[in-house]
Amino acid sequence: MKLDIDESRCKGCNLCTMVCPYRIYQPGTAPNRRGIYVPHLDQPERCPNARLQQIYGRRLCGVCALICPDQAIRWEKEKPYEPHNVVIEY
Amino acid sequence: MRDDWLRADRLPHIYCAGCGNGTIMNCVLEAVDQLGWNMDETVFVSGIGCSSRAPGYIRTDSLHTTHGRALAFATGVKMANPSLHVLVFTGDGDLSAIGGNHFIHACRRNIDLTVVCMNNYIYGMTGGQGSPTTPIGKTSTTTPYGAAEMPFDLAELAVAAGANYVARWTSYHVTELTKAVVAGIQTPGFSFIEVRCQCPTSYGRRNKYRQPGDFITYLRESAVLKDRWDRSSAGEELPSEKFLIGEFVRRSRPAMGVPDEA
Amino acid sequence: MQGNVACAEGALAAGCTFFAGYPITPSTEVAEHMAAKLPKRKGCFIQMEDEIASMAAIIGAAWTGVRAMTATSGPGFSLMMENIGYAVMSETPCVLINVQRGGPSTGQPTMAAQGDMMQVRFGSHGDFSIIALAPSTVQECFELTAKAFNLADQFRCPVFLMADEVIGHMRERITIPDSVQIVRPKPLQEGMLPFAPEDDLIPGFAAFGTGRKIPVTGLTHNEKGYPDSTNPARHESLVRRLVDKIETVRHSIADYEIVNEEAEYVFVCYGSPVRTVQEVVQRAKTPGTGYLHLRMIWPFPEQLLSRFPNVKAFIVPELNLGMISREVERHVCVPVISAGKIGGELHAPDELVAIVEQLRSGGCP
Repeated sequence: MKLDIDESRCKGCNLCTMVCPYRIYQPGTAPNRRGIYVPHLDQPERCPNARLQQIYGRRLCGVCALICPDQAIRWEKEKPYEPHNVVIEY
Repeated sequence: MRDDWLRADRLPHIYCAGCGNGTIMNCVLEAVDQLGWNMDETVFVSGIGCSSRAPGYIRTDSLHTTHGRALAFATGVKMANPSLHVLVFTGDGDLSAIGGNHFIHACRRNIDLTVVCMNNYIYGMTGGQGSPTTPIGKTSTTTPYGAAEMPFDLAELAVAAGANYVARWTSYHVTELTKAVVAGIQTPGFSFIEVRCQCPTSYGRRNKYRQPGDFITYLRESAVLKDRWDRSSAGEELPSEKFLIGEFVRRSRPAMGVPDEA
Repeated sequence: MQGNVACAEGALAAGCTFFAGYPITPSTEVAEHMAAKLPKRKGCFIQMEDEIASMAAIIGAAWTGVRAMTATSGPGFSLMMENIGYAVMSETPCVLINVQRGGPSTGQPTMAAQGDMMQVRFGSHGDFSIIALAPSTVQECFELTAKAFNLADQFRCPVFLMADEVIGHMRERITIPDSVQIVRPKPLQEGMLPFAPEDDLIPGFAAFGTGRKIPVTGLTHNEKGYPDSTNPARHESLVRRLVDKIETVRHSIADYEIVNEEAEYVFVCYGSPVRTVQEVVQRAKTPGTGYLHLRMIWPFPEQLLSRFPNVKAFIVPELNLGMISREVERHVCVPVISAGKIGGELHAPDELVAIVEQLRSGGCP
């Protein structure tokens, strides 16, 4: 699972930066195209939901997505890792 | 998935940056999603105001009605077809001022509705006028010298009027709020959940909480857990700047519009 | 049977299963009869906290696909105005019985009047059009109530039965048919947007709970039902359609009775004054008179007024100070005499005969 902030929905209220127990969200520093300071993610792989959701089989924490007034925070499903053979042609 | 309940073609919504209404919408959708409700059998009803725009963003049948009358419309929907799940979004002005009569009568009838009141202390959509829940001394465009009237305690009002489930949380307590909505929905009869939420644009700007974060901090610090206060206070009055949060009542008085268990 | 009870019976015959109301003289018998009958038919009767809530509840109920009705009188009717506008904007089929009494304000609760005829058409704010019927006998109370449900479903608008205290409390023998004609709203076709009109300017109807996920709003909305309140073209096309869907068919849906097309002095009447007019026209001593009895007042079928080639004057007896007489005046070139009467009593036949005779002798009443 991967955390994702939808820039087209975020209005830059920074509530996510207040509630995350792991301080993954950092206040934005540069305005985007719409002039909104979208928070940026600091090592999002630390999020327990990203790490442990599949092990526990349910959603953990999730406070950032619940408090986000603009429905901008989502967990994107990552594609499962597929081993593939690399064929080296001479 | 909670996102499935949203009309993606209408987002982003009209709420200001940092508005608590979006948070409350998330919590309610999370609750109905946890309960596994069918979108086709769910109806969201609302009146007029910021809070009442919420059903328009939800991918179900919805009724965005006239100012204050959401509960009366919801009564009609529920009584005509009790098998529908009916949820009402309303605001403090909508519910307690113009719709005050419908509110107490819906509580009295104990109709099987779940009502979520987004109490932001103010009339947000019209630009920040004082409402019946504006605390004494707070500034709004119609109380420029500080509100002089006593505010309503909506949760106590619902308890007194006979609702089966009453709880109050804030938009900071998202997980507790979600659980309260689930509990309210599962309680047959009238469930009322008051949510104190931030309005940084209209209320915060005039009352020193211009940043959503400051407002959330204020909500968190003024909220006192009801259970804890009941245990420790020994009958003292709650300081006027604080308010209680938690479950106020859960009971099983006779209710109307409860679908037959068949 | 009493007129009010006949209204309730008409509604039950038409399959009305939801009634929300608030007690008000002189319409209370409708609510009482529905309260007694609906629970036995698996319907729902609910006494709301006021008329505003009653109107709101029937709109909510109508969206679940049932036939819903309320009944009231003047003061309650005034309270309902905002939600009547909502029913128009959201295209909700519902039926409202207004047993009119003397106004303004509390006025004469136990006396008859027809003072709400303009309020029903123009009372809510903004431009809109509605359908209003007026019974003149107890039999018509039954028939027109049943018909009102069909019109409401067909045109997706609130339909009003404008009775008055005299008809509401009058007792007459009536014939109740075994069944009445029932026209349900045309369904919302698969793939059609919920507020996209068909050729007749009326969108199909899908009830809540049928999976169509309809966002209903009183705001100016687009064909999906999404609010779009700042677009002038959208508002104009929506409101024009709401008016045109009723006004363009006003001649084909008109419900009327014409007696003596050759008449020189024509009464235009509706509701209880029709009874006096019938007496006057049948009298041998008032020859040359005829009448146009309108059972449907709004939309006003003005072409009917041109059906009288020899007319010298229209006389409009009504229990107000001249409301529909203005509407008649708008459409004709001959004198229109308003024979308005207030106070709660019907016109005596002699009063109307006197007007005709005065006109005949060249005077102006």
